[in-house]
Amino acid sequence: MEKKTTVAEKNRLETLLQDDGVVQTPAMGPLVTYPLEIVVPEVRHQTPAVGQRATRPDCRLHGLGQTKYIDDMTFPGMLYARIKRAGIASARIKSIDTSEAEAMPGVVAVITGRDIPCNSFGPSLKDQPVLADTRVFHAGDGVAAVAAVTEQIANDALLKIKVEYEALTPVLDPLESLKLETPGVHAPSANIYGSKVIKKGDVAKGFAESDHIFEGHFRTQMVEHVPLEPHSTIAMWDANGRLSIYSTLGRITLGRADVARTLGIPMSRIRMIATIVGGNFGGKNEITTEPVLALLSKKTGRPVKGTFTRSEEFIASTTRHPLIMDYKTGVTKEGKILARKVRLVLDGGAYCSWSETTLGKACILSAGPYNIENLHAEAFVVYTNKTMTGAMRGFGAPQVCFAYESHMDDIATALNIDPLDIRLLNAFDEGSLSPTGQTLQSVVVRESLLRAAERFGWHAKSNASDGAGAGAIVASKTTKGNGVRS
Amino acid sequence: MKRRGRGMACMWYPIGFTVAANPSSAVVKLNEDGTATLLTGTVETGQGALTILAQITAQELGIATDDVHVVSADTDTTPMDTGAIASRTTYVTGNAARLAAEKVKLMLFDVAAPMLGVKPSQLEAKDHRIQVKGYPQRNLHIGDVANHARVITGEPPIGSASYNPATVALDPETGQGKPFGTYVYATQIAEVDVDDETGEVEVLRVVASHDCGTPINPMLVEGQVEGGISMGVGFALQEEILFDSAGRQINPNLTNYIMPTSLDMPEVEVDIVDNYDPTGPFGAKGVGEPTLVPTAAAILNAIHNAVGVRIHSLPATAEKVYAAIKAKREKNAGLLTGGTAQLPEAGPLGHHGADAGAP
Repeated sequence: MEKKTTVAEKNRLETLLQDDGVVQTPAMGPLVTYPLEIVVPEVRHQTPAVGQRATRPDCRLHGLGQTKYIDDMTFPGMLYARIKRAGIASARIKSIDTSEAEAMPGVVAVITGRDIPCNSFGPSLKDQPVLADTRVFHAGDGVAAVAAVTEQIANDALLKIKVEYEALTPVLDPLESLKLETPGVHAPSANIYGSKVIKKGDVAKGFAESDHIFEGHFRTQMVEHVPLEPHSTIAMWDANGRLSIYSTLGRITLGRADVARTLGIPMSRIRMIATIVGGNFGGKNEITTEPVLALLSKKTGRPVKGTFTRSEEFIASTTRHPLIMDYKTGVTKEGKILARKVRLVLDGGAYCSWSETTLGKACILSAGPYNIENLHAEAFVVYTNKTMTGAMRGFGAPQVCFAYESHMDDIATALNIDPLDIRLLNAFDEGSLSPTGQTLQSVVVRESLLRAAERFGWHAKSNASDGAGAGAIVASKTTKGNGVRS
Repeated sequence: MKRRGRGMACMWYPIGFTVAANPSSAVVKLNEDGTATLLTGTVETGQGALTILAQITAQELGIATDDVHVVSADTDTTPMDTGAIASRTTYVTGNAARLAAEKVKLMLFDVAAPMLGVKPSQLEAKDHRIQVKGYPQRNLHIGDVANHARVITGEPPIGSASYNPATVALDPETGQGKPFGTYVYATQIAEVDVDDETGEVEVLRVVASHDCGTPINPMLVEGQVEGGISMGVGFALQEEILFDSAGRQINPNLTNYIMPTSLDMPEVEVDIVDNYDPTGPFGAKGVGEPTLVPTAAAILNAIHNAVGVRIHSLPATAEKVYAAIKAKREKNAGLLTGGTAQLPEAGPLGHHGADAGAP
């Protein structure tokens, strides 16, 4: 049955391919007739509303393939934009020749960084050019943009743009960047562009009173958000000089402010619409090419759409900060933490983006959910000529959690204490003081530890074998899927 | 040979962010039939935020989730919002929506009070009705009150409100202050199989016990936890952007940048810890980001538990894990042939397992 459908589908596609008119119909979901009576799941009708397992109204659209993402939208006369990426990590731009691209049939406009009224933006430090004009700070920097009648022509036009670079030695290692003698990525600004320190109690005294002192060194990698929907934007102007931008932004308030600033127009003349966003995870918290598309649209008088390729999603959007983490912890022989010293170095990549928030959260959270009387945590974020790092789900917390929890297990193993017990011994309680001196409310670290342990069967397993029950040989291949979902 | 191991990790995570204020505004309009429209500047990015906000608004007005239509993410029509970021939507935007709905509710009480012959303070909104506290049989349908407000008293109910978590800036010298309104807590325990001949790690099961204050919608909490764990598995074992010596990415595509698929997903058991935060809307905090935070740590602890090697750098790829196992074996063999009686299986740092991850 399935085979037959496949053959029929193949035949249908072949017929379609012969008829150009049909093939060019804009892509859309399968045709469905809408029922007059929409069946709404009972739970959406129940009161009280809080606590209900209410379904989402958008799930019907997703299920029917009817959700209109920005890349599904078209407007009459719409052009397609593509950005030329530098492909070199650090360089001075000597010249950009766009003449050959502009002469191509189907190319309607080409712009460079010099066309942008205010060519800098950023959520905190305004250190990021919309399009690089004099300097390239990382290989994913855009250097020119093309609007053409098809995406293919726009792509071809990128190859005709000639950029002459004077290559500079890139700074790639964050520890190298930290050194004062290393040339500044954004000279004359220093490479260390953010730092934070949290001091509580007396660390030296705490270490002196400790029975054991442990050290741990940890590193994490750079990762991408990889949303299913890449960054996508459509910009268009009306005859009154009002700009409408459909964008995959998760923060339209900040986005509008950044677009107004870079274009030098009042916010009241900008309408920013975000529709449904197909995954954010922090990667869509700031503008990327919105001002470029707005300028291309203004220059051509036509709507312009730009959608990142998967590769651009990696090289030209933000990523997760790699962290280099040094931990030193003093404990009693019972496993009570008396003092902890933490030093974090964050690789900020080429631009600040959300580094200040990431730095702050990483530093504050770095001691873990534990009562530690004597703490010294410090964190630095440095520029490198690599892909910029910014907001990503957890803002530095997954990195420091990997470090403080690995470190915790090392301490537990060395002292022959059960990992659950050492955590219970040190965990925050209701009213505990955080490393910043904040009185904590609604604290349930202990409850979550005990509930997870019970659900997992932690004690049942540890009693079954010696000590931690580690490394038991698995006799037969186990399959996933036999667990219970609540 | 596959070896089984288990590891736990717990965490704390703040709701909202530091550096600057992070307010949200919301507008609630009540229609003549007792249904409502919520205007919010936040963006639905797939997490279900708009459903949560509809539930909060509905709860305050005593109506059902489906009675609230949410208009979002348009700077021309919706009020200011700091955005879908920092796990703040339920807590911050939710508080703004609740406060806006409360204003609408109080307007309704003013209209309903003379209709029911009581003071506004004696009324409550429940199950689509405005009713007298303690005498629920004396009630009016919310739609009748809303219509009355429009056609008779001429006061169509509308409310707007803003919320910003109360914070105290950190002292630059000591870092002391109150950076966030509140925090959430969680523990995850992972069970893994590690193949000690290939270094391959299979995550079998993750038990995730999460605090989010009041779960406004337990199903969406579970969705967030499952999604976060999938991201955590990738962070722990697979994902890494690699650069060449000139600083260019060498794997910017999904062929060479390896991410977890459904086949890599462990069995996830979600447990929501009972909690109530007095500062959140109906006691709610948030859950978006924290779901990912302890996953990698739990998996790495499980690897250590299974094969006795501590991987100090992420991701713990099969190559890295195998190299560490091999180094440990060689070290053990060396110690044995050298006649050393003591084999430090575990001890203070630097004596328990090799680290293949050092750069």
